[in-house]
Amino acid sequence: MNTKNRAFRITIRAILTAIIMVQSMTPFLGYIPLGIVNLTIIHITVIVAAITLGTRDGLFVGLIWGLGTLVRAWTAPTSPLDSLVFTNPLVSVVPRILVGLVAGFIFNFFYRRSKNIPFSALASAICGTLTNTVLVLSAMGLLYSNDVARLNGVDTSVLFKTLALIAATNGIPEIIGAAVLTPLIVLAIFRATRLTPDHI
Amino acid sequence: MNKLILGRYIPGNSIIHHMDPRAKLISSFYFIGIIFLCNNWQSYLGMFLFTMLVIFLSKVKVGFFIKGVRPLIWLILFTVTLQILFTSGGTVYFHWGIISITEFGLTNGIFIFCRFVLIIFMSTLLTLTTPPLALSDAIESILRPLAVIHFPAHEVSLMLSIALRFVPTLMDETEKIMNAQRARGVDFSEGSLIQKMKAVIPLLIPLFVSSFNRAEELATAMEARGYQGGVGRTKYRVLSWQFTDTLALVCMGVLTLILVYLRA
Repeated sequence: MNTKNRAFRITIRAILTAIIMVQSMTPFLGYIPLGIVNLTIIHITVIVAAITLGTRDGLFVGLIWGLGTLVRAWTAPTSPLDSLVFTNPLVSVVPRILVGLVAGFIFNFFYRRSKNIPFSALASAICGTLTNTVLVLSAMGLLYSNDVARLNGVDTSVLFKTLALIAATNGIPEIIGAAVLTPLIVLAIFRATRLTPDHI
Repeated sequence: MNKLILGRYIPGNSIIHHMDPRAKLISSFYFIGIIFLCNNWQSYLGMFLFTMLVIFLSKVKVGFFIKGVRPLIWLILFTVTLQILFTSGGTVYFHWGIISITEFGLTNGIFIFCRFVLIIFMSTLLTLTTPPLALSDAIESILRPLAVIHFPAHEVSLMLSIALRFVPTLMDETEKIMNAQRARGVDFSEGSLIQKMKAVIPLLIPLFVSSFNRAEELATAMEARGYQGGVGRTKYRVLSWQFTDTLALVCMGVLTLILVYLRA
């Protein structure tokens, strides 16, 4: 890797980090307010990073997103999901990292075979978002299912089912949103910058 | 747009302001770690008094902290209420259907409330008394020993500094793009979910494309100035560890001992 690429790695990761910071604070850029709950679209940034820059950068941006969620859940929670669920790093950080990993891997897998950017981006967006929803839900199920919860003295039957329902119902529009937005953004980036999908 | 946790730095002239950012960062994280040791009201009171003492030493008005917690208070109270209503164990004070207020639920709820407020106070204190760039310097310095396992401490800190530098710029840019799209007739606040999502497209694409181009230009600028990575790079502001910093860490140690003594 020459120095230009090395500097570019640093600046692009920095600016993606900044985008995630801004996204978690600005409505419409990072989340769509829907009354009580907010529909997040930050995962789109992670998926776009994984596709345009490669799986490693996807992982990195996912990590930033996860850490951001964790810090916010502890210092400035915005929803009951934040303060009850995302305060646990296993729920907030691990699924987010894997979003980047899965999205990058799926894009490479399909792009190598089909050479079709929109299709591969679509597949990557759907799998990436699914990873997030499924992992957050199963982590919640695992950590707050009866045994562990009883140890903590929390009666989970109603509370966490409700929270899981919120997370699950959010998952569907999140998948649709990612599926629509990701191919468009990815195509625009490949057309307007020197990046190409053959970065591996 | 003033909700940003980082970058709320208030210049001041106090012991806390003059502390080494590394000491402040370590102590804050340590404080958040040991707060989980608390399990009775005596230990929470101890932590609360310590927080008040530090806030007093920092000479920052208490109002800033109250202002920081106020928007969150309803949410925290909501969380606490849920905890109170759905936690079982101990003496039952009130029971109706699936809802029951119990001794464990009540104490648990109050403790969670205290924990949230104390953590928010501490993190607010850290960001109010430390400039963001000093924090990223501190992170670089703390992570430097990890170079042994090829952890790029310098690059992480540089990334963080660039990211912090670009947050306001990106916010301005978002504002500009939003206004440009509003002028073209995009309505961000009305409409169904599908319409709202459609409104996001003309916002995200320009932002991403301009950000990628900006990163490219920045990389070229760094290259032109001879960026070689962290090796042999010197600093304009050098962090210096002083007696008060060691004292602060000793204080944290003493606090831990007091906590271990106080907890049930």
